[in-house]
Amino acid sequence: MFIRAVWLILRKDLTVEVRSGEIAYTTLFFAVSCILIFAFALVRDGRAPEDGAAGLLWIAIAFAGTLALGRAFERERQAETLRALLMAPAARPAVYLGKLLGIVALLVGVEAVLVPLVALLFEARAMLAHPVWLAGILAAGTIGFASVGTLFAAMLIRARTRDVLLPVLLYPVIVPVMIAAVRGTAVLLQPEFDAQVAAFWLALLATFDVVFVTLALWTFEPVMTD
Amino acid sequence: MPKWFQPAAIVCAAMFAATPFVIASAPFESTMGLVFKIFFYHMPSAWMFLLGGIVCGVASVRYLFSSDARHDRTAWAAAELTVLFGLLTLVTGPLWARKAWGTWWVWDVRVTASLVSWMIAVAYLLLRRYGGPGSEKLAAGLALFGMANVPFIYISVNYWRTIHPATSVVPTLPVSMGGPLWFCVASFLLLFVLLFKMRVRLEEQRARLDAVYLSLDE
Amino acid sequence: MRVLTLSIFHWMSNVTAAILRRVGIFIVLIVCCGVLADSTAWAQPPEQTKTYTPISELPPTEQIPAARLLVAAYSFVLVAVFLYVVSVGRRLTTVQREVERLEADMKRTGRA
Repeated sequence: MFIRAVWLILRKDLTVEVRSGEIAYTTLFFAVSCILIFAFALVRDGRAPEDGAAGLLWIAIAFAGTLALGRAFERERQAETLRALLMAPAARPAVYLGKLLGIVALLVGVEAVLVPLVALLFEARAMLAHPVWLAGILAAGTIGFASVGTLFAAMLIRARTRDVLLPVLLYPVIVPVMIAAVRGTAVLLQPEFDAQVAAFWLALLATFDVVFVTLALWTFEPVMTD
Repeated sequence: MPKWFQPAAIVCAAMFAATPFVIASAPFESTMGLVFKIFFYHMPSAWMFLLGGIVCGVASVRYLFSSDARHDRTAWAAAELTVLFGLLTLVTGPLWARKAWGTWWVWDVRVTASLVSWMIAVAYLLLRRYGGPGSEKLAAGLALFGMANVPFIYISVNYWRTIHPATSVVPTLPVSMGGPLWFCVASFLLLFVLLFKMRVRLEEQRARLDAVYLSLDE
Repeated sequence: MRVLTLSIFHWMSNVTAAILRRVGIFIVLIVCCGVLADSTAWAQPPEQTKTYTPISELPPTEQIPAARLLVAAYSFVLVAVFLYVVSVGRRLTTVQREVERLEADMKRTGRA
């Protein structure tokens, strides 16, 4: 029953997205614009800054993710569907999980375009040499970012200054995710790939994900109740 | 305000007035000299920063699951004190570091983790101020996440640092400089309690005001 | 004696901000005197700190006198705490005055 509720919510979000493409296209274009601005700002004499690719990739993901979160819940707010969701017989945490998986799916789609673009523009093709590790770090980092972001965005739906408050609240809390994701991705860029260091950062990300998804599931109910 | 407040405030003011003399009597630290005296204000501030953070986190958890307004008032007051004492720590630290380590800022574990935690506390206050009605529970959720995040911040910043070799190694802080340090800690603790009481009182009066307005509408 | 302190207490709660301001200035003056006395009494330390290089890799630091940093640190702490106390005191006085005014109004109009 719980899994079914999660699946239904996820399917609803994906269906709306596939049909309208509003959030997907705008978020993707925004992420690409970010990368371009970084390129113009940091590429000098045609040479990209060393080791810059990892940081820039995750900055772009963070910015694009914040936009996507804001837009996703704005849509719920305007249609007042969130209230309907909360009144549905589904368990509250199922609503959270469904929304979380939707956001993660969206961000994975954006990353599928961003990673090759960053690898190309910032001479970081080494990143693509270990696709399994890269996929692992991307997944764990995205889930970490989205787990906190979904909860905060849902919390802020009724707040007045929700647009600016979301990054204000979100960015300090996901500092460990950013550090671990960037350092983990940077390991992939080193000439000699150090699997142990990469495994450490991946493990830290996975732990963060588990702890914070659990915390979010636990607090979603009291936080969304007035 | 309760009866003990006025005498306690006078005692606290007197203790703070006495701190320069007490600190002057402390043994002269041979390696860092005069600038080490900042430490006597810096470390108690850091401890009060930590105390405020813990009080805010615990009160937030209790508020989330009990909806008792008293815990919410405690959490808000503690968050403001966390921001205040965090600011004191983050300013006195670099003033000391400039002389002791030759640089205003180091990306040391404790320093960076303190900065991130302080920013979470500031975010809490911004949420309370600008979040509109219903932001009490949201802020409690933020405080809970912030508190749960502290070990992750520490671990990630710690290993972030060792990959780039540190340009300075933080000397281990001498924990006991005896009497003067504990006197300063006691002064700061008393100050914390007094400020906390004042701030909670403000929230209680605001709640009373709301209740009066509500009864007027009836 | 008890009546005196109680009446003073009542009077003070209505002029909290003004009292805080005076007490604060007094404390700032005392501590500044103390800090200045402290730093002038320890006139020798700057020579010692000049030769101190905490870590061998670090270049020798520029000569910012330690006393200036010390005074800056202590003053900042006191000013920040003082400003916070004034801020809370002012907000508290405003709210308390509002509550008392409303309750007096209600009493006069017989809780209409």
